[in-house]
Amino acid sequence: MIINGIAAKYSLKFKVLLTLGIFFLVLLTSFSASSQTAEDEKNFQLCKACHTIGGGKLVGPDLKGVNDRHPESWTIKFIQNSQEMIQAGDEMAVKLFKENNNIPMPSHNLTDDQVRGILAYIKNDGQIAGGVAQVADTTSTEITGATASEVEAGAKLLAEKKGEERRNMQSTFIIMLVLMLISIIDLVITKLVKARWIHIVIILVAVAVMGELTFVEATALGRQQYYQPDQPIAFSHKIHAGQNRIDCKYCHFTATESMHAGIPPVALCMNCHTSVKSGKKTGTVEIEKIYAAIDNNKPIEWIKVGNLADHVYFNHAQHVKVGKIDCQQCHGEVQKMDQVIQVGDFSMGWCIDCHRNQAVQFAENKFYDQYTKLHKDLKEGVLTTVTVKDIGGDECQKCHY
Amino acid sequence: MEKIYWQSLEKHTEQQASVLENKKPLPEFSIEGLDESEIKGKSTRRDFLKMLGFSVSAVALVSSCQMPVRKAIPLLNQPEELIPGIANYFASTFFDGTDYCSILVKTRENRPIKIEGNEMSPITKGGTSARVQASVLNLYDDARLKHPFLKGIETNWETIDKDVFTQLNALRDEGKRIVLLTSTIISPSTKTLIGEFTSLYPNVEWVMYDPVSMSAIRKANELHFAKAVIPNFRFDKAKIVVGFNADYLGNWLLPVAFTKQYSSNRKLNGGKKTMSRSYQFEGYLSLTGSNTDYRYGIKPSDEGLILMNLYNEIARVVGATTYSVPASPVDLGKVTLDLLENKGASLVVSGTNDVNIQMTVNAINHLLENYGTTIDLNTPINLKQGNDEAMAKLTKDMNSGEIAGLLAYNVNPAYDYFNANEFNQGLNKVGFKLSFSDTMDETAALCDLVCPNHNYLESWGDAEPIRGLLSIMQPTILPIFNTRQFEDSLLIWMGQNQDFSTYMEKNWQKEIQSNNIEVGNFTQFWNQTKQDGVFQYQLNEEPQPDFVEQKLTFDLPKQNAGLEVVLYEKISIGNGKYTNNPWLLEMPDPITTATWDNYLCVSIDYAKQNDLHLEDVVSINGLFEIPVLVQPGQPDGTASIAVGFGRTDAGKAGTGVGQNAYPLMNLQNGLPQLAGSVISIEKINGKTFPLALTQTHHDMEGRPIARETTLPEYLKNPYAGNEQHLFDEEHNVSLYSKVQYDGLHWGMSIDLNSCTGCSNCVIACQSENNVAVIGKEQVKNRRIMHWMRIDRYYSREESNPGVYHMPVMCQHCDNAPCENVCPVAATNHSSEGLNQMAYNRCIGTRYCINNCPYKVRRFNWFEYTNNNKFDYNMNSDLGKMVLNPDVIVRQRGVVEKCSLCVQRIQEKKLEAKMENRELRDGDIKTACQQSCPADAIQFGNLIDTESKVYKQVKEERMYHLLEQLHTLPSTSYLTRVRNTEA
Repeated sequence: MIINGIAAKYSLKFKVLLTLGIFFLVLLTSFSASSQTAEDEKNFQLCKACHTIGGGKLVGPDLKGVNDRHPESWTIKFIQNSQEMIQAGDEMAVKLFKENNNIPMPSHNLTDDQVRGILAYIKNDGQIAGGVAQVADTTSTEITGATASEVEAGAKLLAEKKGEERRNMQSTFIIMLVLMLISIIDLVITKLVKARWIHIVIILVAVAVMGELTFVEATALGRQQYYQPDQPIAFSHKIHAGQNRIDCKYCHFTATESMHAGIPPVALCMNCHTSVKSGKKTGTVEIEKIYAAIDNNKPIEWIKVGNLADHVYFNHAQHVKVGKIDCQQCHGEVQKMDQVIQVGDFSMGWCIDCHRNQAVQFAENKFYDQYTKLHKDLKEGVLTTVTVKDIGGDECQKCHY
Repeated sequence: MEKIYWQSLEKHTEQQASVLENKKPLPEFSIEGLDESEIKGKSTRRDFLKMLGFSVSAVALVSSCQMPVRKAIPLLNQPEELIPGIANYFASTFFDGTDYCSILVKTRENRPIKIEGNEMSPITKGGTSARVQASVLNLYDDARLKHPFLKGIETNWETIDKDVFTQLNALRDEGKRIVLLTSTIISPSTKTLIGEFTSLYPNVEWVMYDPVSMSAIRKANELHFAKAVIPNFRFDKAKIVVGFNADYLGNWLLPVAFTKQYSSNRKLNGGKKTMSRSYQFEGYLSLTGSNTDYRYGIKPSDEGLILMNLYNEIARVVGATTYSVPASPVDLGKVTLDLLENKGASLVVSGTNDVNIQMTVNAINHLLENYGTTIDLNTPINLKQGNDEAMAKLTKDMNSGEIAGLLAYNVNPAYDYFNANEFNQGLNKVGFKLSFSDTMDETAALCDLVCPNHNYLESWGDAEPIRGLLSIMQPTILPIFNTRQFEDSLLIWMGQNQDFSTYMEKNWQKEIQSNNIEVGNFTQFWNQTKQDGVFQYQLNEEPQPDFVEQKLTFDLPKQNAGLEVVLYEKISIGNGKYTNNPWLLEMPDPITTATWDNYLCVSIDYAKQNDLHLEDVVSINGLFEIPVLVQPGQPDGTASIAVGFGRTDAGKAGTGVGQNAYPLMNLQNGLPQLAGSVISIEKINGKTFPLALTQTHHDMEGRPIARETTLPEYLKNPYAGNEQHLFDEEHNVSLYSKVQYDGLHWGMSIDLNSCTGCSNCVIACQSENNVAVIGKEQVKNRRIMHWMRIDRYYSREESNPGVYHMPVMCQHCDNAPCENVCPVAATNHSSEGLNQMAYNRCIGTRYCINNCPYKVRRFNWFEYTNNNKFDYNMNSDLGKMVLNPDVIVRQRGVVEKCSLCVQRIQEKKLEAKMENRELRDGDIKTACQQSCPADAIQFGNLIDTESKVYKQVKEERMYHLLEQLHTLPSTSYLTRVRNTEA
């Protein structure tokens, strides 16, 4: 949808990436986050880490139709404390436990009414009870049908591109330098080629190419495209966001409220990792580090990947909540990355390119009602869409103050 | 050519002449041993080495360029209310022993960065003062003590507690006197606690002390009404206000609340046709005096006589006892008439700490039937409870060796007591000396034990500034240093195992029960009160106490040739508690525009007679030397000096700044008074001391900058004083088409009729926008960084001028002269009417500064952060904690200026978008507007015809600054109206 349409327009790098991405057929399943009450929706966030509604099995089973599978009283008890039931030898509970690879569901401190609310929310497929269609405020980041190897290939490409590009640039620069020197030597000393214009053309071309390369390199100073640092914990977004299909905003939960998307506090990891104690690849080694952080009361020092210059003000809530931009549009397909890499170059041109083309939620958000002239233009067909630029999104003091 | 800065026209001409005669321009570079002609085209061995060095280091620098690794460290467990990037606001209370204000503390990632006014407070109503705004910087003051001290050596609390416990008990057993010397305490819980403390240690006496005392008001009311209180004054109910040496808009009692009341009574917006009239009799040009309608400069010793005459005039008309007194030196006909016409709606106040004077004031107010209307004795103001006589007795007893212990809390008498020498001598004779001071101030330095108190932003507390109004103080940050709250220390020494917050909550519960105040569920009420910050309970209607007639008397004016000195508290640093606050030190005085110093203000006539000029140094009574400032409006026969300077142990910014004027206080009728001492002045020939004034220009050069009219004329013609606006509107034509805005057009309107010049906005802006402090020398070089300045102009005669205050910041012109000249388009216009400044694009040509007719752009001549030459708050990790993370700290070589708080605009726009609603008028408040105690500033959308700013812009009094230039500013002003006759 947006990710394919817009991102492709601004950079070649994206194009390459996305052509490949098309094979993976990105399916954007929309979870509607609205419900009877905000509380139910909030409580369902607890479940969302391991379950979907009609989105297939994650860590735990798909919850679609869960209301019909078991009697309500049983379900409530199970959600509140499944381990107790399993230990008590409840037949159904033990069966479920075994079906799901013996991964225990953490007990939840919810009242009966709260669980009923969640069940109703599930029953409505995450829709409001009255059936009023609401604009989805989160666009989940699911991928289906992609095999593990395909996904990995996509992420690998990014890392390889970085090295390749650099090598290409350096060799072009050296070749040009050598060509230029040869023609200068020939022009002044050896004089093998009589036609002087050949020398001049070669020198001019070499200077132009080298100038271009220097310019590109110089502007990239201070930028960190394809930056891929080693993290203190070998945390894989591919496993969490990709395979387990945990919503980005489950962990980066302040992305919809604050300028910072936020790195999740360790306590949030523990929501799942109280039960999930070992990973497929790294075993217990990496997950142990979470427990160590809690035990030693020492937070984990993650290395920040997407860095903006200090004189830039960037607000995640503005883009994610208001602009309804997918995380992937700027951060790339993080759900395919084992180790996160910075995909965009995060330069001003890169920001502005998007601001020039990206449509704002002009009709949907009442804030924009005050722009009477733009509304008139839309109505009269002078404008087809209102882009960020139309409401001043390319002005200095939208980002620099 | 060397740049020349000048202070006055005379000096400027002098300097120019000397430069022309003696100096030829120096060559830009010089290579030793060569003439200028030989240098051209030649490079020496040294040049070669320089070039080599530069290129090698440049190459090394570039090749070693590496991006720093930045870390993102999340909390282990993130509290629900803490979202990185989102500010939290906590209601709290500012009380420093003198000033009270209900505030909101803005915290980001759990550290306080800004103080806002609390709009829920029924008295301060969202206003603050410059000192309140700057108090957040004190939290991050490096001069704060980081540990308790025992005999000058760092120690821990266990040792201190053991020591104090032993000494307290030993002294109690021996029955020896201990004095707990505190500032005024308005906290009901602390008072109860001290009561319990003194009953546990019955040998402890409690004395309250104020450096600038008002005990005379309490004494006079005790004699007249049998109630030793300071009554509540209602400036909003008074149609005529007469002040005698009472700077009620600047420093007197509750200036923030009084400014709110006073200005609300003088607004003419929306067709209002009446305003109050104020008279001021004073010994120096105070902030109140600069705003008043009729001002009379008087000698301090004349005050009693003038008041007596005023009393007589009124008494004669209403038929009360009159006294035979000499004639008044000023004509009182007009003020008498006004007062009599507005019986019951007038107010006479005096700031002099003299019982005779206060009794005369009481008698006048009684004759005018003001009690019960503009003065309320039943809801007294609890500030200024200091008892001068008890303090004098303490000093005497200490010297006679009768005091065995002294516990000093929130007081610094070793510096600010008028008789500090004697106090210090006495203190040396005390065996057990303890100070709770949070810095090693003059008194703490003399004490054996120092138990540093928390900053108020780290403390729990409550306050009852006015009877019936309770106010909560709550911590907004964990203690930064190893300090402990005064009350917690007392609780520990009382052997109690609870902290003060629990104690306070219990005390509230108890008090609310015993006073039968209906609050419903207490826990709910308690949480609500902590959220609101204030709680007002209904008092039973009581009649005003009866007035008991007393014989009035007064002191005869001093008949001598000496100058009478008037001491005053500066609007910026007050009584000396904030002398180490660089923001306040650099805040220009609203009257003299001086920063960083105190000085002797003398009248123009006196200066002429004695050949004194600005910056000449004089010696006062042989005590100290101080520079002179010739002050228009300084009454003849008087001179004035600000107290609060000359600290010896303030901290790195404030120590040694200015001279201590407290020893010049006037002890009269047993009470220390600020004014009235006779001083002798001796000019020290040839010696000068530089003063950093931000404005030496006093008039408007004939340009209609600050516009003014009188009330009668305004009523006749709403455009009075503003005729120029109509003319300019008509004659300003432009080839450019007018900018059309869609949706949003930000604008600001400043009502000069409300603005008092209190400079709260200057500091609020500095705090919000990370404005750098640059030090005295750079201020003198005209490089002050304040985005908002308050221009001050004088009019009329020099001896008693009319004064204007005019806040000036970037006017955000639609035809901005600065935008056209920027070669890199670093400053340009936004679609919302903002004149934007992109610092990262600016290359520092300063063309914009030169082309700005308002001179509101500031240039960063130096790197003001991480620079030891500017060792203020932006040079240490601690000081930098106060910076607003939403605003960039500007670097050297870029221009900066007012952005109309664009970060606040963007924040509130986003909030509206996230809530899927339209922006409401009043959602966005700029920093200067939010805490303005006079509500002089309005900000909003000029397209929204319902917005307050739009309505204000449509007033007839509206004009733009220098509008003949046709810059089309988005900022506008409203003409000032004085309530004088014609």
